[in-house]
Amino acid sequence: MKGYLKQLLLILILYSINTIGQEKITLSGTVYDKNTNETLIGVTVYLPELNYGTMTNEYGFYSVTVPKGNYKLQVSYVGYATISENINLSSRLSKDYKLVEESESLDEVIIETNVEKLNIRTPQMSVNSLSAATIKQIPVVLGEADILKSIILLPGVTSAGEGASGFNVRGGAADQNLILLDESIVFNSSHLFGFFSIFNPDVIKDVKLFKGGIPARYGGRLSSVLDIYQKEGNSKEFKLTGGIGLVSSRLLAEGPIEKEKSSFLIGGRASYAHLFLPLLDIDNSAYFYDLNSKVNYRFDKKNNLFLSTYFGKDVFNINDSFTNNYGNTVVNLRWNHLFSDKLFSNLSIIYSDYFYGLTLDAAGFEWNSGIGNFNLKYDFKHYLNSKFKLGYGINNIHTSFNPGKIEPSTQDSGIRTQQLTKKYANEFAAYIEAEHKISDKLTLQYGARFSNFLRLGQDELNVYANNQPLTYNSQFKKYESASATGTEQFKRSDVIKSFNNIEPRFSFSYLLNEKSSFKASYNRMVQYLHLLSNTSSPTPLDVWTPSGKYIRPQLLDQYALGYFKSIKDGDYSLETEVFYKDIRNRIDYINGGDLIANNEIETIILNGKARAYGLEVLFKKNEGNFTGWLSYTLSRSEQLTAGRTPNEPGINNGNWYSTPFDKTHDISINTTYELNDKWKFNSNFIFQTGQPTNYPVGQYEVQGLNVPLYDSNRRNADRLPTYHRLDISATLTPSSNKNRKWKGEWVFGIYNIYGRDNAASLSFSQNQDTFRNEATQTSIFGIVPSITYNFKF
Amino acid sequence: MKKAIILPILILFILTNCEKVVDVDVPTTAPKLVIDASFEVFFDETPVRANTTVKLRLSADYFDDTIPTVTNATVFVTNLSNGTIINFSDNNSDGDFEPTTTFIPEDNSEYELTVVYDSQTFKGRATKIKSTPFTKVVQGDTTLFTGNETELEIFFTDSGTQDDYYLFDFTKNNLLTLEDRFFNGSDYNFSFFFLEDEIELPTNITVKISGITKEYFTYFGILIDQSGQSGGGPFQSVPSTILGNIVNTTNDDNFPLGYFHISETDTFNLDLVDKTK
Repeated sequence: MKGYLKQLLLILILYSINTIGQEKITLSGTVYDKNTNETLIGVTVYLPELNYGTMTNEYGFYSVTVPKGNYKLQVSYVGYATISENINLSSRLSKDYKLVEESESLDEVIIETNVEKLNIRTPQMSVNSLSAATIKQIPVVLGEADILKSIILLPGVTSAGEGASGFNVRGGAADQNLILLDESIVFNSSHLFGFFSIFNPDVIKDVKLFKGGIPARYGGRLSSVLDIYQKEGNSKEFKLTGGIGLVSSRLLAEGPIEKEKSSFLIGGRASYAHLFLPLLDIDNSAYFYDLNSKVNYRFDKKNNLFLSTYFGKDVFNINDSFTNNYGNTVVNLRWNHLFSDKLFSNLSIIYSDYFYGLTLDAAGFEWNSGIGNFNLKYDFKHYLNSKFKLGYGINNIHTSFNPGKIEPSTQDSGIRTQQLTKKYANEFAAYIEAEHKISDKLTLQYGARFSNFLRLGQDELNVYANNQPLTYNSQFKKYESASATGTEQFKRSDVIKSFNNIEPRFSFSYLLNEKSSFKASYNRMVQYLHLLSNTSSPTPLDVWTPSGKYIRPQLLDQYALGYFKSIKDGDYSLETEVFYKDIRNRIDYINGGDLIANNEIETIILNGKARAYGLEVLFKKNEGNFTGWLSYTLSRSEQLTAGRTPNEPGINNGNWYSTPFDKTHDISINTTYELNDKWKFNSNFIFQTGQPTNYPVGQYEVQGLNVPLYDSNRRNADRLPTYHRLDISATLTPSSNKNRKWKGEWVFGIYNIYGRDNAASLSFSQNQDTFRNEATQTSIFGIVPSITYNFKF
Repeated sequence: MKKAIILPILILFILTNCEKVVDVDVPTTAPKLVIDASFEVFFDETPVRANTTVKLRLSADYFDDTIPTVTNATVFVTNLSNGTIINFSDNNSDGDFEPTTTFIPEDNSEYELTVVYDSQTFKGRATKIKSTPFTKVVQGDTTLFTGNETELEIFFTDSGTQDDYYLFDFTKNNLLTLEDRFFNGSDYNFSFFFLEDEIELPTNITVKISGITKEYFTYFGILIDQSGQSGGGPFQSVPSTILGNIVNTTNDDNFPLGYFHISETDTFNLDLVDKTK
């Protein structure tokens, strides 16, 4: 490892020296949308004569350094008209570009966009992008455009079923996704227990999902990074965007504060009260809302300040005797600074928290739990020369965990106030990453991340006999929680346990010819936080817990290979990847372990490992009236929890078992057909192997209860029936739009059009009338029609 | 506690999903002996009486209509503090073994249950667990989601001297486990709700509170979960074989199902009226 770092340093020095000797010119600037002045992420800035290009970063900035001379320059972006011009580079030049959206530009200036070309060259693999426009077109249940429901249509991404919260990437668990909203960590991504995601589609500018080959600038979660950027707000004119749907309504206001210098954005989305409960004639409500806001100020070409916030909540209230609310809060201040035309920096100060609260008068208590963190990030992008780009930075996150506090909810309640022991941790990371063009054909991306995790002092830490919080009772053949023999006291500044890890990241692309390339990557990731959840998908009341004396950090090694081909000048593209993932220290829970309000979680945890491997194919048609993609994933995701000694059985008798989201085959086909300016049609077809489940092997009776007999040695060995469905939607843009400011569109959708009763679960129980045992299949959504009206003003 | 917190999640499922009974080919396994021996000592009655039935059954294939009984077994309980043996017999040949003499389990005595069946010996041990009597149980007015539930308000005083675990039986297969972790030593009350189709009003019911061990609390909690009282869905945890506290001393691998437990139990009888009328 030491040698690796040394080598990296050497290359760095070499390249820094290299740049001094040659006469090279740097062209840099920012790329904007002409109409809104919104910066554009991932725009290709390309010099065909040099066969060299770059992409704008998350803040729209680009920088290229090339030898003096006259060049042709192309600035291109999906959905926008390409700018093509001749540029004379004789001295350092700062130049901003403003792109015009294709739909609004005149036909003759459109030059074929050629974005696929660079995708083939860049060593970054296993990444998928979705634009807000695509997300809004995809037919979804109840017409509620949704990022998370859209990304699960991509290869390698799935979820634990309809209505399940979170998503699973390449066989990873839902808590292994790093979800970033404007660089802030979001802990819970779902509304209504998973039916909808918390991201308002109107506010979203760019969504990128990294499934593998994850760059060193990201860390802290094993399986994926979902990097979401919100719009900055139109700094040219005031605009209103909104939508009215069956579940919720959205409204977004944006506009300049000082023209082209500063702008604001404020967006709200709220579901209707009494959602899902309107048929019942009782006093209740169930709703959610989101509030996104952003202000930015451009001091000068070199300094840019952003303040963004997100606040969202879910509320359930039944008869005032039962209330449940939960949500995220995110506040984020960022400062972009250009040290030079080659050195871009971003400093972020972020606060993020998640809160869960419940009041249940029937049991006389109030409950709340949560997690909050302060995050300081300083990132640099150094565009050294045409062959070498460098990124480096530091990141410090201080996290407090409140596993729960219980209080009496009424005066006559017998509940006694109790605070479960709060936990604290600090995670520091430093990284360096390079994109290095070795030859016209070979480009490398390599780097490393160093992370240090400190479990900080807490009020009480349990101590157990022989340091064993969990014992195995060989007589009764079961794991038993040990009782603490005492407690240790700590000051908040004490370090209970510390972990250090170096996470190497490496990938390369090798151009086979102008149309196709081969890529490979390796990444190691470390995750210090664990979401305590023993259900197949997370619930809002699950709590996060830090690594420490009893729980070790999760470690992942992922290897991926890919073949990428652009067909007919990028009209079609084919991406094929295979991956293998190996995860250490994945925890699982003993039978009957109760995670809720458990102050001694270590007494129900078994340490294990996980692995996943698979093949992903993504075939896309990018151009024409008829576009879409076919995605196929063949994969396996398994877990192994062996006994700690040969006498212990572990889980599933120490054999590999399927994770709850293992799906052998996963196919999705998404198509869009633009009939004319007025009508656009969209469809989704999904076909998946049924999820793992457990069938009883028998039945017996105890105390009058009929109990299904399950076999602990065939965990997740059965399957739900195959899942498939077809959704369609049609978008109508009235022709009266053309000459007026108010632009509206109607989206009509039908989810699950042929009414397939897909099993969300199978439950086995006795019918209380007939006293016969039955297998009951629960389906969540039948045929669900929807209608949504979107507008812009 | 667990059930109470899970509740909100279930609401959504109840209100949005659709259910249908389907045919499933389930795997089978060799029948296992089930020893269901949960003794109840009704300590608050005079004279004190006890339910000390040992029910012997076999496990069956899941969709079988009948559960086989075991009548050809030898059953006895040994009082380990004085060596007294209480013999049990199955007079009705229904698999329910009753003591041949009057048997009221004593305080602080450990008992060993022995069952000999099919040339194999099964043994388990238990000591009576203290309970507390109901202060009162009344029918309440509150409803939950449909407005047609029947509320039972349960009042009792928890002892502050130790960790207590309780098993409530509200009749109609409605069982609930509860620990005193958050109300140790309090006058505690909570509500239980019968769903509309679970009970026909007016009626008379007898509810029970039993003191149980921590291990039986865990065991019974899983049993309730798996017997299907708490539904399925993405929030279900993985089910597994639930093992009790009885071992097979002849063949360790042929573990029996069921539990040997002795609790103090209090009962409360009340009339439930139809408040919607």
